[in-house]
Amino acid sequence: MYIADYKKFDVLNGRGLRNSLFVSGCTHHCKGCFNAASWNFNYGFAYTPEFEQQVIDDLQVPDIRVSGLSLLGGEPFQNVDGLLGLVKRVRKECPDKNIWAWSGYTFEELIADSARLELLTHCDVLIDGKFVLEQRNLKLKWRGSENQRVLDVQESLRQQAAVRLYPE
Amino acid sequence: MIVLKRDGSEVPFDQQKIIDAICAAMNSTEKKIDMDVAQKVADKVTTKISRLEKIDIEHIQDEVQSALMNSRRKDAAEAYIGYREIRTLKRRERSSLDKKVLGLLDLTNEEVLKENSNKDGATIPTQRDLLAGIMAKDFAQTYMIPKRVVESHNNGSLHFHDQDYSPYFPIYNCMLIDLKGMLENGFKLGNAQIETPRSITTATAITAQIIAQVASHIYGGNTINEIDKILAPYVAKSFAKHYANGLKWLYSLDQETIAQLDIAYDNQGLHERFPKCFDYAKELAEKETFDAFQSLEYEINTLVSANGQTPFSTFGFGRGLSWEERQIQIAILRNRIRGLGKDGKTPVFPKLIFGLEEGVNLHPGDPNYDIKQLALKCSTLRMYPDIISVPKVTSITGSFKFPMGCRSFLGVYEENGQELHDGRFNMGVVTANLPRLAIQAKGSEAEFYRLLDELLDVCKEGLMYRIERLRGVKAKVAPILYMEGAAGSRLQPEDTIDHLLMNGRASISLGYIGIHETVLSLYGQHIYDDTKLWQKGLDIVRYLSEQTARWKDETGYGFSLYSTPAESLCYRFCKLDEERFGVLDGITDKGYYTNSFHLDVAKKVTPFEKIEFEKEYPVHANGGFITYCEFDSLVQNPEALEAVWDYAYERVPYFGTNTPTDKCLECGYEGEFEATSSGFECPNCGNRNPKTSSVIRRCCGYLSEPSQRPFNEGKQREVLARVKHM
Repeated sequence: MYIADYKKFDVLNGRGLRNSLFVSGCTHHCKGCFNAASWNFNYGFAYTPEFEQQVIDDLQVPDIRVSGLSLLGGEPFQNVDGLLGLVKRVRKECPDKNIWAWSGYTFEELIADSARLELLTHCDVLIDGKFVLEQRNLKLKWRGSENQRVLDVQESLRQQAAVRLYPE
Repeated sequence: MIVLKRDGSEVPFDQQKIIDAICAAMNSTEKKIDMDVAQKVADKVTTKISRLEKIDIEHIQDEVQSALMNSRRKDAAEAYIGYREIRTLKRRERSSLDKKVLGLLDLTNEEVLKENSNKDGATIPTQRDLLAGIMAKDFAQTYMIPKRVVESHNNGSLHFHDQDYSPYFPIYNCMLIDLKGMLENGFKLGNAQIETPRSITTATAITAQIIAQVASHIYGGNTINEIDKILAPYVAKSFAKHYANGLKWLYSLDQETIAQLDIAYDNQGLHERFPKCFDYAKELAEKETFDAFQSLEYEINTLVSANGQTPFSTFGFGRGLSWEERQIQIAILRNRIRGLGKDGKTPVFPKLIFGLEEGVNLHPGDPNYDIKQLALKCSTLRMYPDIISVPKVTSITGSFKFPMGCRSFLGVYEENGQELHDGRFNMGVVTANLPRLAIQAKGSEAEFYRLLDELLDVCKEGLMYRIERLRGVKAKVAPILYMEGAAGSRLQPEDTIDHLLMNGRASISLGYIGIHETVLSLYGQHIYDDTKLWQKGLDIVRYLSEQTARWKDETGYGFSLYSTPAESLCYRFCKLDEERFGVLDGITDKGYYTNSFHLDVAKKVTPFEKIEFEKEYPVHANGGFITYCEFDSLVQNPEALEAVWDYAYERVPYFGTNTPTDKCLECGYEGEFEATSSGFECPNCGNRNPKTSSVIRRCCGYLSEPSQRPFNEGKQREVLARVKHM
């Protein structure tokens, strides 16, 4: 897995102060994508065990209240193998941190694929759906176009249907 | 014979005028006037030129000069030449003064028009103020301020601030208004005697009047220190008033019975007897408080002081725990969140500062934690409030108080064994241009400190002159301040204000600029990149504070070190140094110097790193400080801002966030407009119309609207160079 970008103390992608991991590789190719460079699966730098440790450590820096980890891309759900180990560690080693993920797939598409579903089960919030340029709206919270949804993952899995996060 | 004067007019020749001029010159010599010589010289000149029909004045003066040289009073000839030269110089100055005045008239004098982004230089009242400023400054430089100080100011080694007001007028900088004393004891305003208000509506109306009056008598900012505590008694009065109405109409009680009841918000027994009354009075008092603060905010934003601008006003609040105090805090924040007018635009004034304190509002579970949440929301939308860490300010400045205006902090002062804050003020600032000394020292630290000592000597002279100018001033020059209580005193018109200046009651501040450029120039490296340099920067500021402490001991006046908020100065010093030393990489090439101890605005660091870097400076510069961080829009994410506030609370005394709070009145977008060559543009809908855009940026200590009134060039470049810390 390759990493396109890693931002500490991100305030734009998810609630609270977060560390954001932008994984490389995406086949959705949405028109107007904010990060088209990361479509290439070999873009950026290689993901290593040392880097993974860094991500874990950064979630636990003393004195700074980091709310959690955000997974963006590229397409996190086309990097399931690379990310699974990380999210499991976050769950185990940073129990007070939450995980948000952004995907071009919809919730319904993700739960129909067992590998992707497994990654999803470790997330708290999912912003789903492709970016649709015609429906772009900068006033929306955490997402770029009207069709996208901010979902409460655990509740959605329980109900087996998309449940909006409240409050967003 | 006709004499042709310099201005082109013609007057009949008059020999007496020659005699007068010679006598004036003789009078300035040791030997004084010799009428005999004066008469003889005048006669000689008159005879020589009498055949001419017309002669110009310069020609006559040349003749007088040569006749004097050939007389027995050569000393008088020299004096006469000197006198002519001074007159020539004056005429030249006069014409440069005229140019400035003309520049105001045809709106080309950018230096004056854009010096203060809070002033709309195009309007007549402001032009009157600017005109007065030009004249006052010229007069003060020619006749009042010590020569050495004027020279250093004009060549840019130091800045003697606010010469358009002071020292021509005996006027001071910024203050904490003693609103409590004024409201409790009554005062005269214009022709009206004002008594203690009987409702929060009246109390805020009077507060606006006081602020307007005070702002016309000082040139810096004014602060209502702990406005929630000061105005709480009037919320209580409103509550009691509504309660009494309720008792009358809901329970048919007569006035006499009502008068005997102890009506108060926390009188539980009473509320159990008259539950409907309690709910009624509570709801009406809360509504009244909200409305009262709405009026106050509108009044302050619509006022123009005699200085031709909206009063630089600040409200400090947040520590009060009573219901009344909480209502005021809520009213201030809710009104600010709502914004001004139907479009809800971000108000520029008053500046809001929220005091954070453990056990009050810091943590979930603290009684006012809900109000902290409101303050966070407000800050993401409106940039204000900034926050004060109550324990940090207390430990750094010796006692708790909000700053006067945007960042000037008072030290400890006691009267009758009690700490006093309200009614105190700052007598003014002189700022040292540190980067210039570093450039001149050419990498030698020892030389830098030697030059610094020299400069500080001149700064001190300037500051002592500021004090001198205020000494002996009579209370009648500013009745609102000295006779009616705003400065905490009720003096008689002919009393002097001297005791208000002494023993640290008032502060007087040495300012400084450009620690970043100074360190870069002296040590050749960016201060942030080497922790040894962090220490070097701190050493300079500590050295300055040691000097001000020494001056305080020597003179008994409240000298303090102040981190100057340089709005136009950041540009002026840099431009003068560029003219003198050329374009120097990272120093004079940017078009601005970095404010005080602030980290270079272009340095990419996290807010936490910036706070760590700056946190030690206020300890030394405890007469004035603030730390800022730049953020993307946090409107959607107050939780993130809270994490930053909580981090700052433990480390810095005073913290502000610069976050885009622009609003598009066409599409409703809230966030950051893009700065383009043709103005500010909404990223959502592309709107560029300034009339339907609300674009707010922090200029120095205050906010301003660059879409309506552009910044000066240096400040604009500094604002564009700012990088986000997240």
